[in-house]
Amino acid sequence: MKINKRILKSIRALPPFPVTIQKVMALAGDPDSSLTELAAVIRLDQAITANILRICNSAYFGLRRPVDNVGDAILHMGKKNVLRAVMAAGLSRYFRTARGYDVKGGDLWEHAVAVALMAQICAARVSHPDDPRLFTAGVLHDIGKMVMGEFVHEAWQRIEELTERRQYSFLEAEEEVLGVNHAELGGEIALLWKFPDEILKAIAFHHRPDLLANGDTVPWIVYLSNQVCHVMGIGVGTDALAYRAVGDVAGRLQLRQRDLEDMMAELHRKLQGARELVQIVSEQKDNGRG
Amino acid sequence: MAELVVGISDLKVSNNPADSMVTYALGSCIAVAVYDPAVKVGGLLHYMLPDSTLDAEKARETPGMFADTGIPLLFKSCYSLGADKKRMVVKVAGGASILDESNFFRIGQKNIMAMRKLFWNNNVLIDAEDTGKNCNRTVKLDLATGKVFVKRSGGPMEEL
Repeated sequence: MKINKRILKSIRALPPFPVTIQKVMALAGDPDSSLTELAAVIRLDQAITANILRICNSAYFGLRRPVDNVGDAILHMGKKNVLRAVMAAGLSRYFRTARGYDVKGGDLWEHAVAVALMAQICAARVSHPDDPRLFTAGVLHDIGKMVMGEFVHEAWQRIEELTERRQYSFLEAEEEVLGVNHAELGGEIALLWKFPDEILKAIAFHHRPDLLANGDTVPWIVYLSNQVCHVMGIGVGTDALAYRAVGDVAGRLQLRQRDLEDMMAELHRKLQGARELVQIVSEQKDNGRG
Repeated sequence: MAELVVGISDLKVSNNPADSMVTYALGSCIAVAVYDPAVKVGGLLHYMLPDSTLDAEKARETPGMFADTGIPLLFKSCYSLGADKKRMVVKVAGGASILDESNFFRIGQKNIMAMRKLFWNNNVLIDAEDTGKNCNRTVKLDLATGKVFVKRSGGPMEEL
């Protein structure tokens, strides 16, 4: 892999992966951990605590009555959902405006949430276990763009020349001009954050799952979910449709056209229930998309 | 002057010439803009899927989601504000796809076909169309003039 050293270096300027999320990930995966332990860890993080109640009270989590403290939230949501809520509350801070992609932080975050929700919808449809890694990989698939944005902005003319006039995909243009694409760079960030290999791969190959030798379904689900959100225009920028379809995703996941349409309709409904989740990142515009 | 934003699976109609309507970031979805110049009534629909037989309940809840429920509702809503079918000007944009779509689901193409079939069966002519390709689009309808503008990703706002 030919990696541009200057870009690679700049990922070290990213804030470290939140310790709270690491701890919650470990506790959520441990059958012996108690809800009290989980609540104690979350309460120590003010930024996450501030966001988490809003998130928990969104229609997406379907709590019967509103909760006003972290303990009750955890009690009513279950460990798996707590992990999702903590991820959302803690990771939204990374989603800032990405200049080169001409997309605002709020829109990028909406895209991240939409892909994570679509990954869940897709997993249910293909009878893949509802794996918490899917949510993590879905939310973080474009994390590389947070760093790439500045470099894409600098090299905009050359990238545009390739995508507009020479039929390059945006990914191919990034590779040609900058020596790395945003997915690979996301993989490097995942490595720096010491993510499990499966999440790292799902991020690094989210446009090219066909390059992965093993038969893991997770990267294909993230790929499909992302492509669908791009096609629907959810929180996308200048690169919107300049991506290539690869491999036989329909055959591999055994999905028909009708399944995909059903999934799109379901995503539309789920996203409306997840408004609070989406709106924790400011600069949110009330746009219609698709 | 109000700029009404039409969301995904949504439609809006108005008879106020001071209004304009806009819908952002159309990918495979399609925007249908209709306008009756005699009474200055217009509407904009942003539908997502071709066929409501997919899910009758969703079609009832959100008729703007599908071509075959959204387009009739758009026309009827304009009629109720005094528009006449014979005078309606119809312009459409969207239905784009990603590159190498043969490897993927052809949702944009299906949306285009559904709309053309519906208009053909109902003797409605499409006055202007900017569909397909791999660019996303923003569509705007000006109620004072009935002019429709399309902005392709990265490009300027141009009249359709």
